[in-house]
Amino acid sequence: MTDSPATGATDAAPASPSGPGAAQERLSVRGISKRFGAVRAIRNADTTVHVGEVHALVGENGAGKSTLIKILSGAESADTGEITFDGRPVTINGTADAIRLGIATVYQEPQLFPDLTVAENVFTGREITRRGRVDWAAQNAKVVELLELIGLPARYATVPVSELSIAEQQQVSIAKALGGDARVLILDEPSAILTGSEIEVLFGVVRRLAASGVSIIYISHRLDELFEIADRVTVMRDGETVGTWPIGELTVRRIVELMVGGILEDTPAEHAVAEAEPRLVLEGLGAEGEFADVDVAVRPGEIVSLYGLVGSGAAEIAETVYGMRRATAGRILLDGRPIAPRSPREAKKLGIALLPADRKGQGMFSFQSIAFNISAGHLPLLSRLGVWVDRRRERDVAREFIERLSVKTPHERQPVSAMSGGNAQKVVLARQLVERPQVLVLAEPTQGVDVGAKEEIHKIIRSLADEGTAVLIVTSDLAEAIRVSDRLQVVRGGTTTVEYGRGATQSDVLAAAAGALEQEAA
Amino acid sequence: MSTSTTTAGDRPPAAPRTREATARGRVLPFPITGQEIVLIGVIVVLWVALSLATPAFLTSGSIVPLFVATAPVALIGIGMTVIIITGGIDVSVGSIVMVCSVVVAQQLVASDLSLPVAVLLSVAVGGVLGSVNGVLIAYGRVHAIIITFGTANLFRFLGLQLFGGTTVNGIPDTLAVFGRGEAGRTLGVPHSFLLMVVIAALAWYYLRHTAGGRHLYAIGGDANAARLAGVKVQRRVLLAYVLTGLLTGLAACFVIAQGTATLAPNVGDGMELAAIAAVVIGGTSIMGGRGSVLGTVLGALLVQTVTSGVTQLNWPSQLASLFIGIFILIAVGADLLRQRARRTT
Repeated sequence: MTDSPATGATDAAPASPSGPGAAQERLSVRGISKRFGAVRAIRNADTTVHVGEVHALVGENGAGKSTLIKILSGAESADTGEITFDGRPVTINGTADAIRLGIATVYQEPQLFPDLTVAENVFTGREITRRGRVDWAAQNAKVVELLELIGLPARYATVPVSELSIAEQQQVSIAKALGGDARVLILDEPSAILTGSEIEVLFGVVRRLAASGVSIIYISHRLDELFEIADRVTVMRDGETVGTWPIGELTVRRIVELMVGGILEDTPAEHAVAEAEPRLVLEGLGAEGEFADVDVAVRPGEIVSLYGLVGSGAAEIAETVYGMRRATAGRILLDGRPIAPRSPREAKKLGIALLPADRKGQGMFSFQSIAFNISAGHLPLLSRLGVWVDRRRERDVAREFIERLSVKTPHERQPVSAMSGGNAQKVVLARQLVERPQVLVLAEPTQGVDVGAKEEIHKIIRSLADEGTAVLIVTSDLAEAIRVSDRLQVVRGGTTTVEYGRGATQSDVLAAAAGALEQEAA
Repeated sequence: MSTSTTTAGDRPPAAPRTREATARGRVLPFPITGQEIVLIGVIVVLWVALSLATPAFLTSGSIVPLFVATAPVALIGIGMTVIIITGGIDVSVGSIVMVCSVVVAQQLVASDLSLPVAVLLSVAVGGVLGSVNGVLIAYGRVHAIIITFGTANLFRFLGLQLFGGTTVNGIPDTLAVFGRGEAGRTLGVPHSFLLMVVIAALAWYYLRHTAGGRHLYAIGGDANAARLAGVKVQRRVLLAYVLTGLLTGLAACFVIAQGTATLAPNVGDGMELAAIAAVVIGGTSIMGGRGSVLGTVLGALLVQTVTSGVTQLNWPSQLASLFIGIFILIAVGADLLRQRARRTT
């Protein structure tokens, strides 16, 4: 990419590497803001994308990246601010407007029709027809050109999409976006679901497109890859664009600092862990295509976090411990005995409890009461002779937990669906506490939870650990990982990499997760 | 995956020609699926076995009624295929048959309608009822099975009200061109079956070769992605249910023609299940996004062959249910295996 050394302050129009006549404006946003109810998703966004450049957009979760691209792709409209395209002010109301301007978006998950051929997928919604009949030959000829451009074999034109790999499907998504003569291509975390060699293919496509004059807005959490692919980087923090820099003036560490700002490092509460044999050990654990060589040990009373970005494999590791996935290598030891839970039920019997990340899908019975949600799965314990549910005991247990977890609710018969995210999460957590598990696995325990409830949930986790439970947290929330855990392991590329004790700094860990170690070693 | 390093620069000059050649070749997957070939095989085997067991089977006296009886179910099945491809279902078609046939039968008795008017009336009533389903499903955003389960009961109430607790008697034979008798065939080919085949061919062409038809598959594959791609999802879905209503109206004429001069309130009972069975056995995925009209026609033929075969062999008639049930489970199992195979790749 660029090799211009970082000289002086960043200016408004830095030299772009795309040759003469580059640095020509294609798309620019000024003073964009957007509110969702009480939440200000974007306070102020300013940036300019040039013709034929790869423009990276980075920021922490919640910094406003996805809202900004939704505004550009027409899925949302901005409250204030202006957008100019090729120098002309434009309004984007709805996806049709964006498509007409030539702004195409490729979402993280391929939006394809599995039973239709590649050619049909590319042309869905804008078929070439002749006398009412789809002109297959004309469509296929065009698709073959597109396939060539993105580096897929021409014969794929007539292959159903379901027969392609995920990476190939993503390339087809790009072809689909390009089919409408895109001049700006937004790629939302395109590399998150790809493996190393597949990412190389993706980069090849992106470079070729940029060389042909398409402007690319590239969103990624893997900061190291920006140094391979991006020309310039716009950093967002707390709903604002911090600024735009040529990639040559940045390092992974510098980007991280810009992302998290100056303010960092809150002091975590003290939490003592007694010396003991580890209760849960993952030894060289691996699952084909998901993760490999994972080594983790958790002692009773200890809180260990696996911190990883989306797609890092951290979530899959947790699922394996809980029996929702099978390991294909290594082993899991519980109190020194090897175990291989084949279902959540088996894991539960062994004393492993799980707080799933997808609360709505896996964790709650939304329409049922708090009491029902807490007692579900423990009914034999709360029943007479294991048959009749003892309603009074169910109620007492529910009330006890409502008080202990300070769940805000008028009574235990309240349906969970009527509660806020934080309170609902406490209820789901309470279910796990009924039987005081030996091992508690928490996946994203405070996702979508407001700050106050977050603190309370962390307190509950700590008090559980104090009672001797070994806690394993899988999270992509760095502040949380640092705050709550005794030890923290970074998961990257499907394996555990660095380990930090108490007192790690946010920028150290984030840099490690985003690939700074590799960059600095190189 | 493997070769991807070719850049725009080193493209050989001969490339455009070879590209065109590829494009002229197979542009869509082969028109007949594996499941359809298997179905044809099963039907042939059954016919051979039946004609060996009962010499009367492959004679015109036995095979013509089989085709005639297949026609209404296959006709409804064509509409049902379109609906199921979009990821929906319509369990109200049996009730639509009932309403259409009682309206037409009563008008035939009362005002001695001519053939075209009778057919138009039936088709129109079917279209109206189908559009009720379509509007509720396309714009109400409630799953089709719930909506059509509700309308099935409403339509049924309407039909029973029209019957008024008795049968319709003395229906003139205006519709005999669609019947089982001599008037119902030309050169031995039953008109109802022929008409069904023509409509099936049109539907096949529509689904396979027009943008509108391909959009139905896109909707069934991923409705949200279809919307983002600019497909008019709601209009297409509405159209699928209206189409099914129209075809069901025509099927009701076949049903009247095939019956006696008396129409009883049990008309249309179970036809929705027969049509869904034909569609599923024909290889259309109940999850939407995949299927064909050819499969549905073959499925209807198979179901009818089993029913007639059991009768002609003098076996207890409940065996027909057993065999059809087994065929459905095999078809659904094959569909599941395909889905699973896809997920693991």
